[in-house]
Amino acid sequence: MRVVRSLGPAWLLAAALAWATTADSAGSPQRIVSVIPAVTEMIFAMGDGHRVVGVSNYDEFPRQVSRIARVGGLLDPNVEQILALKPDLVILYNTQTELKQRLDRTGIPYYSYEHRALSDITVTVRAIGARLNVPTHGEALAAGMERALASIRRLVAAVSHPRTLLVFEREPSSLRGIYASGGYGFLHDMLETAGATNVFADIRQQSVQASTEMILGRQPDVIVELRYGDILKKVDVARDIEAWNTLASLPAVRNHRVYVLVGDEFVVPGPRVVDATRRIAQALHPGQVR
Amino acid sequence: MLRAANISFAYRGIRTTRSPASAGRHVRNVVLNDVSLHVERGDLVGILGPNGSGKTTLLKLLGGVYSPASGTVTLDNRPLAAWTRRDIARRVAFVPQETQAPFDFTVIDIVLMGRFPHLGAFALEGPEDLDIARRALEATGSAPFEQRAFSTLSGGEKQRVVIASALAQSPQLLLLDEPTAALDIGHQIEVQTLLRRLNADRGVTMVLSTHDLNLASALCRRLVLLKDGLVVGFGPTEEVLTPDAIRTLYNVDAVVERHARTGRLTVVPIGRT
Amino acid sequence: MQPIRTRLVTTVAAFSALLVIALVVGPVIGSTHISLARVFDRSIPFADNLDAQIFFIARLPRVIAAALVGGALAASGVVFQALLRNPLASPDTLGVSAGAALGAMVAITFHFDFAFAGLPVIPLSSFAGSLCALGVVYALAAARHRGLSTTVLLLAGVTMTAFITALILFTQYLADFTDTFRTVRWLMGVLDIGGYAPVLAVLPMLLVAFGLFATLPRALDLISLGADAAASRGVNVPRTERTALVGASLATGAAVAIGGPIGFIGIIVPHMVRLVVGSDHRLVLPASILFGATFLIASDLVARTLFAPVEMPVGVITALVGGPFFLWLLLRSFR
Repeated sequence: MRVVRSLGPAWLLAAALAWATTADSAGSPQRIVSVIPAVTEMIFAMGDGHRVVGVSNYDEFPRQVSRIARVGGLLDPNVEQILALKPDLVILYNTQTELKQRLDRTGIPYYSYEHRALSDITVTVRAIGARLNVPTHGEALAAGMERALASIRRLVAAVSHPRTLLVFEREPSSLRGIYASGGYGFLHDMLETAGATNVFADIRQQSVQASTEMILGRQPDVIVELRYGDILKKVDVARDIEAWNTLASLPAVRNHRVYVLVGDEFVVPGPRVVDATRRIAQALHPGQVR
Repeated sequence: MLRAANISFAYRGIRTTRSPASAGRHVRNVVLNDVSLHVERGDLVGILGPNGSGKTTLLKLLGGVYSPASGTVTLDNRPLAAWTRRDIARRVAFVPQETQAPFDFTVIDIVLMGRFPHLGAFALEGPEDLDIARRALEATGSAPFEQRAFSTLSGGEKQRVVIASALAQSPQLLLLDEPTAALDIGHQIEVQTLLRRLNADRGVTMVLSTHDLNLASALCRRLVLLKDGLVVGFGPTEEVLTPDAIRTLYNVDAVVERHARTGRLTVVPIGRT
Repeated sequence: MQPIRTRLVTTVAAFSALLVIALVVGPVIGSTHISLARVFDRSIPFADNLDAQIFFIARLPRVIAAALVGGALAASGVVFQALLRNPLASPDTLGVSAGAALGAMVAITFHFDFAFAGLPVIPLSSFAGSLCALGVVYALAAARHRGLSTTVLLLAGVTMTAFITALILFTQYLADFTDTFRTVRWLMGVLDIGGYAPVLAVLPMLLVAFGLFATLPRALDLISLGADAAASRGVNVPRTERTALVGASLATGAAVAIGGPIGFIGIIVPHMVRLVVGSDHRLVLPASILFGATFLIASDLVARTLFAPVEMPVGVITALVGGPFFLWLLLRSFR
């Protein structure tokens, strides 16, 4: 309900964003370079993937991107490469000030992307749709995502939401350097949508360095670990879960409710957050979700 | 008491041919070649020679700090190789030319280190050791410095403390490497007097290296003349310290005569040859 | 001045008392308030006794690890300083920390993923890296066949550090954002080990190292005045130098394997101890081990309570203490 109600102002905001962040209100860009994997996925999901001529080095999805030229990433955008592709729109991170300056000098319009909470994802989808001059595609995608997320929320509304620790980083085969989601950001939103209560909901930051003491203090009923990037075999995953046995006194470990979810849909705040949220919900509530 | 027979020594490293005998062969940097000498109990022997003649190396060989490449050094008729390092240290003490203390050791700390050969790694010094150390300090006139930091002393004071530390080893033989080289004339006389007294009153046998001709003539009863690693003279001072010998060693013309007032041999350099 | 026997007993007793206090107080204080009474209340089942869980699982291993790492690093510092005849030397001087950093970086960047004998991969790689660096330095310095030359040791150490730093920069170039982040965190030191496995894994090495250290103090005194002087007093200089280097390498490597390369302990603890007990290594070495342990327990305590519940890396605290301490030492030496 929250998502649906924000539709109106989100639409306006999207339009404003789209207008405000471009140096030159061009018509319908046909040669798009996107340094942001999430936005690349959005464009493909809208059906406009054929207009993308350059993607970041870290892009993996959808499969078609393997045939598209690579132009670097957040820290190392290859300006030469970007210019060589003769783009008419570059989608970049808000913090890439140098790149922006270069594009200003060459007169190439750009879209400035900032990433925050789960709800901002659909805002961005609509904004991109507008910027690409296919607002209906954007609207369709965004609305679809919102509906899917809402339906997940409905499925788990009736069951109790376990206290869950969402871990997105830790040193391999040990419990050192654990980073968990705090009460802010799209990981937290995914978790709560999937029918859990974040043990660190009261800590108003995106990432929390969780010490052993903190984790023991919060006594999570469930632990969800997100893995991405590496290719993990099942046997490796099983072995790595054993590291949690050091904290055998936690309810999550005692009741064998430690889940490791592997896939990069968990860290790309794009259309696949729906799949990501559904997978988390499946782990938490196998009876309710699919 | 101490005998060196035909010892030779070389440092590994730069390949040069030094002695004519080995010309044409690749040898290592030969420092001492076929050196022989002997030291009797109660002796006061000086090793005299220009810089680079091998004096320090010879002393270290005599003390067992280095091993000769060929030949043997015997102490009390036993080759040094047959002694343990600690046993040698209980009889022979070595006073280096300079001592730097990187840490804030006190004077008494330094002197007590001389008791190591008698105590070993684990025994702690007891009252007798402290007594020996204090008497060594007194003998060298360093008793007032006992609690001072070693690094705060003057060159002469440091040298006397290091000699005290060597005395704390209760040695029969004292080897000193250029004991007055870094000292001003006042301190030179202090150390000279001290050494003479130690030898005369306590019967400590001494071998010291020096390039100071007058120290050699004033203090030492016998001399070993060393040039380019070879012995060019060995015997009582009056016999060995001649103008010819000085010319061989230093390429310097000098007058050697008995001083009217002190009665000692004095060397006065006149000019280069 | 009192005889050495008395001073030794007094020194060891006093510093041991400090360490005992730290060992007792350490696990009790923290960001979560716990009560000792509850911790040891046998009537509450462990699974329900949060205080006991925090005490035994989160804090006690951490305090013990801090004690062992602090003692090992401080002892290595004392030994390196004597070996190099320089009160400013530390394990870092010979490239140990650089080797540890490279080992960890390589493991993180190339995504090694194996554990060995209870040690997870990053500490293991770190340990291997520091031992390799020391091994090369030692081989270079020992190549002269007449004992270790301190000049060559120092030069080799500086050279190795420079070379390893170049390799680190290269690896960093290949690393992505996450890898770099992980490496930086490792390099700042983390004692939150959550269990005894890493400690048990390196305990044999630590015991060997401390055993070797026990034979050294008097010889270190003598060697610090010069190798030839020490030899003339009966010290087996080559053997002492080898023992010192091997012991210090094992101790430093083990410490790094537990908590990462925590800096400054090896330099400042021996200095602090010398200010109190003098320079005799028979006092400095045991006192440094005890005080190093206490110091790191205290630093870790501050690190985990200062901005509770957020924990700072312990290496930050040791650096924040170490820097000003050195400034003060320097200013003091001007007078």
